[in-house]
Amino acid sequence: MAGIGWRLERMIAHGSLAGSFAAYLTGAAVTSAPWLLTTVALVAMHLLARTHAGMGEFPQVEQIVTVTYAVTLVLGAPVHIVVSRYAADRLYERRPAAIAAPLYRALAMTLLGFSLVGLVTATLIAAPLPLACAVPALTVVVGGQWLLLGVGGGLCSPAVVLRAFGAGTVVSIAGAIVLERAAGLGARGFLYGFTAGQAVAMTGMLIGVLCALPDGDDSAGDPGPGPRLGFAFREYRLLAASAFASQLAMWADKLMIWLLAGRDLAVIYASAAALAWFSVIPAFAWIFVELETAFYRAFRGFYGAIEGGAGLAEVAAGAAALRREATRILHGAVAIQLVVTALVLVGSDRLVLAIDLPRAAITPFRLVALAAVPQLVTLVGMILLHYFDLRRDALVVATTHLVGCAAATAAACALGIPPGIGSVTASTLSAAIVLRVVTSRLRTLVADTFQSQPYSDELLD
Amino acid sequence: MDRRSATAIAPRAQVCLLLEGTYPYVAGGVSSWVHRIVSDLPEVSFALLHIGAVRGSYGAPRYTVPANVTELSELYCQTGPSPGPADLAARRELERRIHRVRRHRGPVSASRTLAALRRMHLGEGVDDALVSDLARADLSIAELLHSDAAFAVITELYERLAPDAAFLDFFWHFRAMHAPLLRLLAAPVPDADSYHTVSTGYAGLVGAVASVRTNRPLLLTEHGFYTRERDIELSRAAWIRDPDPGDPRIPNPRPSPLRRFWSRGFAALSRIAYHQAQSIVSLGDNLRQQQMSYGAPADKLLVIPNGVAVPASAVGATGKRAPADPAEPADPADPGDRSRALRVGFVGRVVPIKDVATFIKACDLALRSVNLDVHIIGPDDEDPAYARRCKALVAMLARESHIRFVGPKPAAQIYAELDVVVLTSFSESQPLVILEAGAAGLPVIATDVGVCREMLEGRTGDDRALGPSGRVTRVADPEDTAAALTELAGSPRLRAELGEAGRARVHAYYRSNQMIDRYRALYRATLEA
Repeated sequence: MAGIGWRLERMIAHGSLAGSFAAYLTGAAVTSAPWLLTTVALVAMHLLARTHAGMGEFPQVEQIVTVTYAVTLVLGAPVHIVVSRYAADRLYERRPAAIAAPLYRALAMTLLGFSLVGLVTATLIAAPLPLACAVPALTVVVGGQWLLLGVGGGLCSPAVVLRAFGAGTVVSIAGAIVLERAAGLGARGFLYGFTAGQAVAMTGMLIGVLCALPDGDDSAGDPGPGPRLGFAFREYRLLAASAFASQLAMWADKLMIWLLAGRDLAVIYASAAALAWFSVIPAFAWIFVELETAFYRAFRGFYGAIEGGAGLAEVAAGAAALRREATRILHGAVAIQLVVTALVLVGSDRLVLAIDLPRAAITPFRLVALAAVPQLVTLVGMILLHYFDLRRDALVVATTHLVGCAAATAAACALGIPPGIGSVTASTLSAAIVLRVVTSRLRTLVADTFQSQPYSDELLD
Repeated sequence: MDRRSATAIAPRAQVCLLLEGTYPYVAGGVSSWVHRIVSDLPEVSFALLHIGAVRGSYGAPRYTVPANVTELSELYCQTGPSPGPADLAARRELERRIHRVRRHRGPVSASRTLAALRRMHLGEGVDDALVSDLARADLSIAELLHSDAAFAVITELYERLAPDAAFLDFFWHFRAMHAPLLRLLAAPVPDADSYHTVSTGYAGLVGAVASVRTNRPLLLTEHGFYTRERDIELSRAAWIRDPDPGDPRIPNPRPSPLRRFWSRGFAALSRIAYHQAQSIVSLGDNLRQQQMSYGAPADKLLVIPNGVAVPASAVGATGKRAPADPAEPADPADPGDRSRALRVGFVGRVVPIKDVATFIKACDLALRSVNLDVHIIGPDDEDPAYARRCKALVAMLARESHIRFVGPKPAAQIYAELDVVVLTSFSESQPLVILEAGAAGLPVIATDVGVCREMLEGRTGDDRALGPSGRVTRVADPEDTAAALTELAGSPRLRAELGEAGRARVHAYYRSNQMIDRYRALYRATLEA
């Protein structure tokens, strides 16, 4: 996010508790606000539906929303990460004017592509026509939202994102109430209202991005491959594949449960998982703030030393500092997550029941909360791998995580044990693998940095 | 590597000549020497291996290769530019290749070639094990560029040889130095009964490893001091970043660590060729002494001066000068001749190592007291930037009417139009131009490099008795050269005496057929052994 590291540094530099708190609150907002607010809207609707009679259709609405989000986020992940990386590259080159035109093309393609995805999804889930007609609209809106979030995250201030999703949440809830009760649309009103609210969030993001982008377009006459989005998709194919695998892994356990243990258990599990995943917000905030400040300083220090003509000792010292920072972030994130998980486990019964989930959701909730610890380790590892541009390693980890989640969940279902155990097992395995890869890569950082460089004409041998 | 055979199946040649950046694509003294050796020894079959930097940079051959050349091959240590960023297929292939190497971790390698490269830089001496380890060529370029083991060598060499340099610079210089070496080590070399390299450096390395692999003898004729010539180039190289470059006009007494690294590398290549060579031919005693100081074993050294063709008609029965040509004054001492401008020639390539700038400055100084008509004769396309600087210097001195760049000319025309020949080189071995000028009866002013002094003042007692055939001046000293020019311009008699001595010296010691006879004997002895 442009300039966010500097702003966070300033907040922390005050030395006050309030400054640090503001920094970590910003981190929480940046990393978690969109999905947190979206989930708040869904939970609010869920609670509203509980108090209203004639809501037999509502579980179907929840299912449509869940499936629509799953399909859109999984299929959109490669596009979002490539466009996000493309925008980040142009910002690094100080050429923000080269972002607009490709972004508009990507947005147009997203809107068109996800309308088709929505139609197919609606057909596959065999939703009744009044509900099915909202599916393409929701896939388009969610696809556009996350695309703009990928770019806007680097261009806009956190306030823009917060405003957009905050407004979207308010409109979602208000729209749901109005359409369901005043217009008498019943459960359909919830779906339409929610979709309208998300459209507001997307519009807010679009306005924020448009305001942040400079006028003009400097990509048209550029002969190089850099500013072309098509080239970016080929260049970052490994990145796209690992994003797809990572996103799919988040849904793989739910999908396996749906296929092997039935829809009812899958719905309970998905709801419990969504709730349990809130536990990572404090660790996310820590990771974000530390990555953008101390780690980034060490990162720039290492590469700056190399480019600035430092001797080997200084380069090695830079690498050691970077290793220390990575270790510190990992330890800190794990410590925070352990504390939060312990608290969540203690209050799991009350949390689950408070949002009107059945008692059967308590065990999945606990297991998913436990799985959040290794998943967080995997996430930090993946971020570090992406930081060092180790796309191939990131893809291996993401694929392992995906296959592990699917296989372990399937095994748990087959053995008749709680499926969440599969998720815990697979996540632990992924965490162990990513730790091994990251440790190994950090240990050989200097050699890798130099020996991975191509040399003039070696291809022509 | 390209191989162009004179016949469909090239028979094994008796001698494979290893030619770095010279014959048959580049004109010059060494190429002329090669052409003479090959042409005048028709009973010997030759294979020629031209070693160059980049394919396509040499143009058409400058010589017609004689019929006794069975094979002409080309070997390039760099192959051209890298694929552009848009060439995705090539980049993916490169990524896969790098990944394959990077997958195998660990700082230890079984490659003996890698160990030899390390020893080449760190060890003082060269032994059989080092050369045979290099000859194994068991290190691919990909391993050199991307393996942990190679990186361990890089870091060790950095810490021991150039700890003050930027590591990034050292890293790229290491690659730039060794990737071409590996390409040469891995390339096939024509099959031959013996190998003869006309320089150390890359050609010397190729010759040394070919000799080890085939167990056949290596001869080395060193026309110039490869190591010193590279040092001169390195001292001026803009592609090496100095930590503190200082005033660019003043030579830096302490070369940067990277320049030292390159210099040590080239010196090591020379020692490898010296070690493996069965015989090392020097062009003169002075060069022989210098070769010994650079590590050449004394027992391998022998002196065979270069020679030039001397028409029998040019020398009278007493060894005196033949009747003068019509353009020459009847009486060299005639004072009337002093009014005519002295025709001064610089014959050679317009390149930094010839120090043409000093020649121009010397002429400018001499022109303040005598009248000169100066011709710079030779190609100026090898280093266009330097040639431009030289021309700008002439313009700045406002000497365009006296100093002219006339380009290359046929050898037969050059000396008939001159009175004096001048050389101001930083480095030479045994310049053919001195012999050609001597054969034409022209006095020569030359810097004290290579064997110029013994070529002008005599090598042995009998030789010295012929008297001087020119003046020896200090390197990079325009005043010294100008003083010699002024002296010769003022005395037609002195010019005639020096020219006569030169003609007699060339006839007695530097005839082409003498040189050919000695090489014929050397080849015979080598092949029989």
